[in-house]
Amino acid sequence: MDYLLVLLLLVPTAGAIVGAFLPGKIARTWALLVSLGTLAIALIGALTMEWHLPGTVNPQLPFPERPEWGIGVPSIGFTFSLGVDTISMALVLLTVGLTPLAILASFESIKDRAKEYYAWMLALLVAMLGVFVSRDLLLFYVFFELTLIPMFFIIGIWGGPERRFAAGKFFLFTFTGSVFTLAGALYLGLHYNTFDIASLVHYAQYGDNTPGHFIAAALTSTQRFWIFMAFLAGFSVKVPLFPVHTWLPLAHTEAPTAGSVILAGVLLKLGTYGLLRLAIPIGMMDANGVAFPAMCRFIGALCVIGVIYGALVAWVQQDIKKLVAYSSVSHLGFCVLGLVAMNAIGMQGSVLYMINHGISTGALFLVIGTIYDRYHTRDINKLSGLSKRMPIMAFFFVFFTMSSIGLPGTNGFVSEFLTILGAFTSKTLGIRFGVLAATGIVLGAVYMLHMAARVLFGPLKVPGHEDDSHTQHSALATGHSSHDDPGDLTIREISFLAPLAIAVIVLGVLPTPFLDSILDPVNSILHQPLRGAPVAATVPPPSSKSPLTPGLRYSEDPDSIAQQSGSSEYLRPGVIVVNPLLNGTAQGRALSPIASTPTSD
Amino acid sequence: MPSIPDFITTIWPELTLIAVACILFLLGIARSPAVRKFIPIIALLTLAAIFFCSLQGTGGILFSRQFPSIRSADMAQFLKMISSGITILFVLLAWPSNKEATGNAALEVGMETGEFFALMLLSIAGLFLVFSANDIILLFLGIELASIPTYIMVSVSRPLPQSQEAGVKYFFLGAMSAAIMLFGFSYLYGTTGMILLNSNGDGASIADIIARSEWHLTGWQTMSLVMLLCGFAFKMAAVPLHFYVADVYQGAATPVTAFLSYVPKASGLVAIIKILSVFGGPEFILAPQILHLLYALAVLTMTVGNVLATVQPHNIKRVLAYSSVAHSGYLLTGVTTALYCQNLPGTRTMALAGILFYLVAYGIMNAGAFGVLQLLPTKARSSAAGTPTGGDSAETFDDIAGQAKHHPVLGLAMATCCFSLIGLPLTVGFFGKVFLIKPALDAHLYGLVVLIMINAAISAAYYLRIVAAMYLRPESQASTEAATMSFAQPKPIMVAVALSAIGTLALGIILPVTTIVAGEAAAAAKIDIQIHGIPAQTAMANP
Repeated sequence: MDYLLVLLLLVPTAGAIVGAFLPGKIARTWALLVSLGTLAIALIGALTMEWHLPGTVNPQLPFPERPEWGIGVPSIGFTFSLGVDTISMALVLLTVGLTPLAILASFESIKDRAKEYYAWMLALLVAMLGVFVSRDLLLFYVFFELTLIPMFFIIGIWGGPERRFAAGKFFLFTFTGSVFTLAGALYLGLHYNTFDIASLVHYAQYGDNTPGHFIAAALTSTQRFWIFMAFLAGFSVKVPLFPVHTWLPLAHTEAPTAGSVILAGVLLKLGTYGLLRLAIPIGMMDANGVAFPAMCRFIGALCVIGVIYGALVAWVQQDIKKLVAYSSVSHLGFCVLGLVAMNAIGMQGSVLYMINHGISTGALFLVIGTIYDRYHTRDINKLSGLSKRMPIMAFFFVFFTMSSIGLPGTNGFVSEFLTILGAFTSKTLGIRFGVLAATGIVLGAVYMLHMAARVLFGPLKVPGHEDDSHTQHSALATGHSSHDDPGDLTIREISFLAPLAIAVIVLGVLPTPFLDSILDPVNSILHQPLRGAPVAATVPPPSSKSPLTPGLRYSEDPDSIAQQSGSSEYLRPGVIVVNPLLNGTAQGRALSPIASTPTSD
Repeated sequence: MPSIPDFITTIWPELTLIAVACILFLLGIARSPAVRKFIPIIALLTLAAIFFCSLQGTGGILFSRQFPSIRSADMAQFLKMISSGITILFVLLAWPSNKEATGNAALEVGMETGEFFALMLLSIAGLFLVFSANDIILLFLGIELASIPTYIMVSVSRPLPQSQEAGVKYFFLGAMSAAIMLFGFSYLYGTTGMILLNSNGDGASIADIIARSEWHLTGWQTMSLVMLLCGFAFKMAAVPLHFYVADVYQGAATPVTAFLSYVPKASGLVAIIKILSVFGGPEFILAPQILHLLYALAVLTMTVGNVLATVQPHNIKRVLAYSSVAHSGYLLTGVTTALYCQNLPGTRTMALAGILFYLVAYGIMNAGAFGVLQLLPTKARSSAAGTPTGGDSAETFDDIAGQAKHHPVLGLAMATCCFSLIGLPLTVGFFGKVFLIKPALDAHLYGLVVLIMINAAISAAYYLRIVAAMYLRPESQASTEAATMSFAQPKPIMVAVALSAIGTLALGIILPVTTIVAGEAAAAAKIDIQIHGIPAQTAMANP
C-alpha cells in the first residue's frame, strides 16, 4: 500500500523504457497493457483510499502515509515524497483513464516511428501522474516541466502540417512561464527550508513556529504577492488564461488525436491543479482569508474575457479541431473562475470541471479523430451530413457535444452550474462575473451546435476523390455504395468512446459523492471548517502548535491529531454524507461559507 | 634550498602535465605511425591518473614556504579534479582516427598529432597553474599558458582558410587582452610593490596591503582591477569582449571548439574570483561600482549571448559559441551573487559552490553536444575522399536535419545535452541553475534571478531548435545524402558522448550522486585569502 504511488510512477517508466526497444507492432499492445496496468494500480489506490475521510488528518496530501524517502538533495531541502488527497486522486484517475483510450485511439493512425511514439506517451503518463502525486514542491516542478518533453515530440513528430511551429510554441510558452514558477518555488523553499507542500502552505500562512526549526514568519503581503505572481506566470500559461492562450489552439490542432486528447484532457489541468494546490493556498490565502481580492477579480476578469472571447473565436472556426481547441479556452475560463471565486462551491465546481472537461473534450477530440482518420479533413465546409454514413459516430458526437455544452443530466451541466454559482455567491467576484460568464454558456451552445449541425446533418458531403465542385454530387450519387465509404465506427473505436460516455452520465447524474469527497480539501484551502469539525479545531491560531510538527505530520491516527488540535470530536469517521445537489447541510454551508457556523449533521 | 618533496606535493599535476607534454612533443617526431598512435593514449592516461589521484582531495591548503608562488587550496584542488575529469572528454573527442570521422584533418595519425596533444596538455597545465597561482606573474603565465596553445590548436586543426583566419583572429585579440591584463598587473605591482597575492602569514602580499588600507582602493588600483577584469573577461568570452567567439569557434575543428568552450573559460572565471578576493578580501569588500560592473557584466553576457545564439541562421557551431557566452554569463551571476553577500558568509559559500557545480555541469553537458556533432555523418565528410574539404563535422542545421531517425542514440544524446543546457529537470543543468539561483535569492538579488530565468527561457528557443532539427525536421538534401554514406564512427568519440550523456542524466536523476558532487563543491568553495593576523581559515601548512 505504501509503495502504491511509487509503483504508479515506476510501472509506466519501466514500460516506456522497455517499449522503446520493442518492435512497432508489439509496442502499441505493450503500451496499452502498461497503461492498463497503471490504471489498475490507480484503481487499487482509489478503492483502498478512504474517500469519505479526505482531509481528516491533514487536508493537503495525506495519503498514503509515507515518510521521507531518503532520496533527495538535502542541501536544498529537496525530498522525493509522494502523496495524494481526493482532488489529486481524482485527477490521477482521469489521467490513467484517458491514457489507455488515447493509446487505443492511436493504433491505426500512428504508423511511423511507432515505438518511439508509445514510449513518449508512457513517459508523458509518468510526468502527468508525477505532478498529481508530488508532495514536494520541487518534485512537482520537476514533473511539471517533464511533461513538456514528451508532448514536444508527440506534437512535433506526429502532428499536422504546422507541427514543428506548434511544438516549439507550446514548449517555449509553457517553459517561459514556468521558469518563474521555479524561481518562486526556490524562494519559498529557501525561506522555509523545506519544499514540503503541506508545510509550505502552513508556514506561508502562519509562519514556522515549530520548536527546533529556524523561526520564519508568515509571508508578508509583498512576498505573498510576488510568490503568487510567480506561480501565476507558470500556471496561467498552462491553463491557459486569456492573453497567453495563443499556443493552445495551434498545439491542439496540430497534435495527433491522442496528443490532443491528453493535452486537453490532462495537461491543461496541470495548470488549474497548480493554481488550486499551490498558487491559491500559498499565494492567495493568508491567515485571515483571501489576501488579494483585487487580484482575484483581475484573474476573474481574464477568465470572463477568455470565456467569451474563446467562444466567439470558436464560433467562426472552419476547422473542427480548432473549434474544440478554442472551446477549451472558453471552458478553462469557467474552471479558473470557479477557483478564484474563493468559495467552496466554486472550487468544488472547478475541480469537477477539470474532470469533466477532460472527459468531454477528450472524447470530442477522439470523435473528431475518427472522422479525420476516414476523410483526412477537419474542415467544416467539406464535411456535412455525416450522420447518414456514420450513425454511431453521430450519436457519440452529439452526446459529447451535449456534455460539452452542459446539458442537464450530463456532467458538464453540474460543473458549469457550480462554477457560475460560485462566481455569483463569491465575495470577491460577485454577480457581474457570474452574469458575464453565463453568456459563455449560451455562446457555447451556439458554436457547438453550429458545428454539430453542419458536420452531422444536412446533405451528405465528404471530400471525394474528385475535385471540389463535384464532390457533393458524386458523394450523393454514390452514397453508401461508394467504394471509398470507410464505414462507421469500429469496435475498437466504440471501445474507447463508450467508457467516456458512461463517465459523462455517471458524473452528470450522481456528482454528489465526488463533490462531497473533495469538500474537505477545498474547505481546508479556504480555511473553512471541515465536515463535522468544530471551527476552532480546523483553523489553527497562529501561535498554536502546528500539527505539522515533524514526526507527527501525516500521522495515520486521527485521534492523535485530534488531541493535538485540542479537540475530542475532531471528526466522525465513517460517515458518507451523500447530499443531493441543492439539499442538505453540507451544501448549505458551502453556499454561504464564510458566515455560517456548522450545523450538526 | 627548496625542499623538493614539499614542492612536488603542491604542484604535481602541473608538473606531470608539462613533463608528459614534453614527452609527447618528442614522440610526435617519431617516424613510425605505430609510435605516434600511443600519443593520445598517453595523454588520456595522464589525465585519468591525475583525476583518480586527486579524487581523494588532501583538503586544506597546500603550499611551500620556500616557493610561495604556488598555493593549492581546497577550491584549486577541487577545480583540478573536475577539470582533469572533464578534459578527459576533450581528449576523447579529439582522438585521431581517419579524418573522415573526426572532422579534424590534422588529427589523422599524421605529423601534428604529437604537437596537438602536447599543446592540449600544456593548455590544461596552464589552467591548473591559474588555479594554484599565488603571485601575479604566475597567474599571468598560467592564463597565457592556457591560451597560447589554443591559438595553435585552432590553426592546425583544419587546413582551411577559415581555421587560419580564426587562429590569427584569436591570437591577435588574445594578445591584445593579454596586454591589457599585463598593464593591469603592472599597476597592481606599482601600487603595492608586491607580487604575491596571498601571504603565508607574514603579511607580505598584495592582499595584506590592500587589507591594511581597509580595502579602500586607490584610483590606480581600481584602474588595475578594471583592466584585469577586462583581460579575464576576454578569456571567458564575456560581453563586450565576446566578438571573436563565433568566428573562432566556427573556424576551429569541433573537438577544438569543445576544448575552447571550457578551458580558457574556466581560467578566466577562476582568475576573476581570485583577483576579486585579493582586492576585496575573503569577504569581497569592494566598492559598489565594482559590484555594479560585475552585475552588468553578468547580465549583459548571458542576455547578449542568448539573443545572438537565437538569431544565428544556420550554423550550429556559431549557436553553441554564443550559447557558451551565455553560460559564461550564468557563471558570472554566481560571482555577482558572491560579491553581493557581504554579510552572509553562508550564502557566499553557496554562491561559490554554485559556480563550481555549474562548471562541472557545463563541462559535462557541453562536451556531449559537440561530440554528437562530430559523430553525425555529413555530406562534406562523405565526399571528402582523400581531399580534406574541411567542413567535415556536422555544422549546420541542414546537416543534422532528421538525423535522429537514422541515429536514434545520437539523437537522444543530443536531446539530453540540449535539455540539460536549457536547464530542464532530470538533467544536471537543472541543478546547475538551481544552485546558482538559490544563493541569488538568498542575497535578495531578485532582479538577477528574474533575468536568469528570462535567459533560460530565451536559451530554450535555440537549443530546442537543435533538437527539433534532429527529430522534427524532414531530412534535408544534405543529410539524406550523408545518411546513405556509411562511415565508421570512432569509438573514443562515442565513449565521450556516452560519458557525457550518462553523466548529464546521472547527476540529474541519481540524487545521491548529485548530493555528493554538490557537497564536494560546497566544501571546496572557500576563498583562500589570509590576511595577516586574521587567518581566514586554518592552514594546513607543510613542515
